[in-house]
Amino acid sequence: MITVKNITKCFGSLRVLNNISFEIGNGEIVGFLGQNGAGKTTLMRILTSYLTPTSGDVYYDDLNIQNNSLEARRRLGYLPEMPPLYHEMSVKSYLKFSAELKNVPVREITASVDRALSDCRLNNVCNKRIGVLSKGYKQRVGLAQAIINDPDILILDEPMSGLDPVQILQVRTLIKNLEHKRTVILSTHILSEIERIVQRVMFIKAGSVIKDTSIDSLAETENRTFVVKVKSDEQFLQNVLKDITCATLLDVKTIRDCCEVSLSVPRSEENVNTIAAVLTEKRVSILEIIESRPSLEQKFIEVISEEDHA
Amino acid sequence: MPKVIAITKKELAAYFKSPVAYIILVVTLVIFNFLFFMIIDQNREATLRDVFQAMEFIFLFIVPLLTMKVFAEEKNAGTMEFLMTTPTNNNVIVFGKYLGTLLFLSVLLLISVVYYGIIEFYAAPDWAATLSGFLGIWLEAALFLAIGMMTSSWTKSQVVAAITSYVILFFLYFSLTFVKYFTGSAETVIKYISTMTHSKNFFVGVITLTDLVYYLSGILFCLLLTRLSIETRLWR
Repeated sequence: MITVKNITKCFGSLRVLNNISFEIGNGEIVGFLGQNGAGKTTLMRILTSYLTPTSGDVYYDDLNIQNNSLEARRRLGYLPEMPPLYHEMSVKSYLKFSAELKNVPVREITASVDRALSDCRLNNVCNKRIGVLSKGYKQRVGLAQAIINDPDILILDEPMSGLDPVQILQVRTLIKNLEHKRTVILSTHILSEIERIVQRVMFIKAGSVIKDTSIDSLAETENRTFVVKVKSDEQFLQNVLKDITCATLLDVKTIRDCCEVSLSVPRSEENVNTIAAVLTEKRVSILEIIESRPSLEQKFIEVISEEDHA
Repeated sequence: MPKVIAITKKELAAYFKSPVAYIILVVTLVIFNFLFFMIIDQNREATLRDVFQAMEFIFLFIVPLLTMKVFAEEKNAGTMEFLMTTPTNNNVIVFGKYLGTLLFLSVLLLISVVYYGIIEFYAAPDWAATLSGFLGIWLEAALFLAIGMMTSSWTKSQVVAAITSYVILFFLYFSLTFVKYFTGSAETVIKYISTMTHSKNFFVGVITLTDLVYYLSGILFCLLLTRLSIETRLWR
């Protein structure tokens, strides 16, 4: 378990993190979300013990990482925002070097390197010089370095940066495979990926965690929005909708001979049935009723804006 | 110890994979050869004393070029963050890197042993004085490297690191020239910190404890400051 207690970080007079506290359980995958300059990277650097907080403490289980930084780093895999690569080295020799520095037993180094190469799909470039690799490959070499010691805690700052859709899928699978086995903290600007990978998100703004919630409850809202596609004349439909008292009309769009109606209804399945019943009674043929869930992008903007208005 | 070896090997390999290192190696050896033949031809003495002095002067210019990248490049490329988040003690990082640069320079010095062979072929040089001279020039180079590495740890810019090294090395080397303007304890201090005061003893075959302490404590002091420098991020 990672416990963060009242972390504050100042660079001179600039307060970058402001009294942050949270806990992350073993096997959890957590995403940090926030605009550039929100303090995500500084927080990650403190969690890796690369930086020390101005005040507050970080614990891996009962281990205070400021006082036992070497012991804490043994349990850690870290991919910084800029992959830390030696361009003159080959991929294999770099991973071997990383394994040596990360206390991988000598007898296990070859096996660890092979596993990291295979997990990150790097076998075909293992003897190439890192400097000649594409951005996507470099990112994956950085990721391979982070997992070389099979760490308990994996901290990944922008792991998807520079990857193509296929590579993103591979990295996503790799991280998902660690679920329940390793604690993973990651930040990315690709919000759709966060949604697919993490169980929990923390919205960070101006050095504070403004929302800490599970990804499932993030999708839940007080009102659900349904998009009802019907075959009907818009004028007639407007009149029918007046009879649906349980829902609020958000929008009506006519596309060819179909109408698309967006309705906001309180969370109850009966309401959906009522809508369907009213429409059927008025002989409006229903083509489709789908629930429109807010995207993480929408939620992200909503959470950030809420805080602005507060 | 395995981590020191890993870092030393990586550092040494980085030199030999870079064209700059080969250029420095070749250019230095060409200059050494030129000076060796010129000095021997002029002095007509079976000694490498003056050759060592010339080598010392050349090292003033060469060493900052070798050391400027040691930490500055790591900081600039973001690999410092990697090194400092592995379970590796900072002493190990500093010592491993230092050993790598020292081995590279030792290779250069080892090649120059051929000069002794040449003199030995034609005359009968004092082998003990030559050995002492080689120890002196090696210690001098080791001190210069420690200073260069220290300045490299202060900045992200290799150019700034090199220039700062030049300032410190030139001050240490030429300070004896200005000693006549000082008296009392200032004169004693300047005489002591000048590298020339200590190296000339080795070059004439005299090994004193004071000189050994000067070089070893100087190296240790610079390596400690390097360690402190890479840890400063923790205090900010």
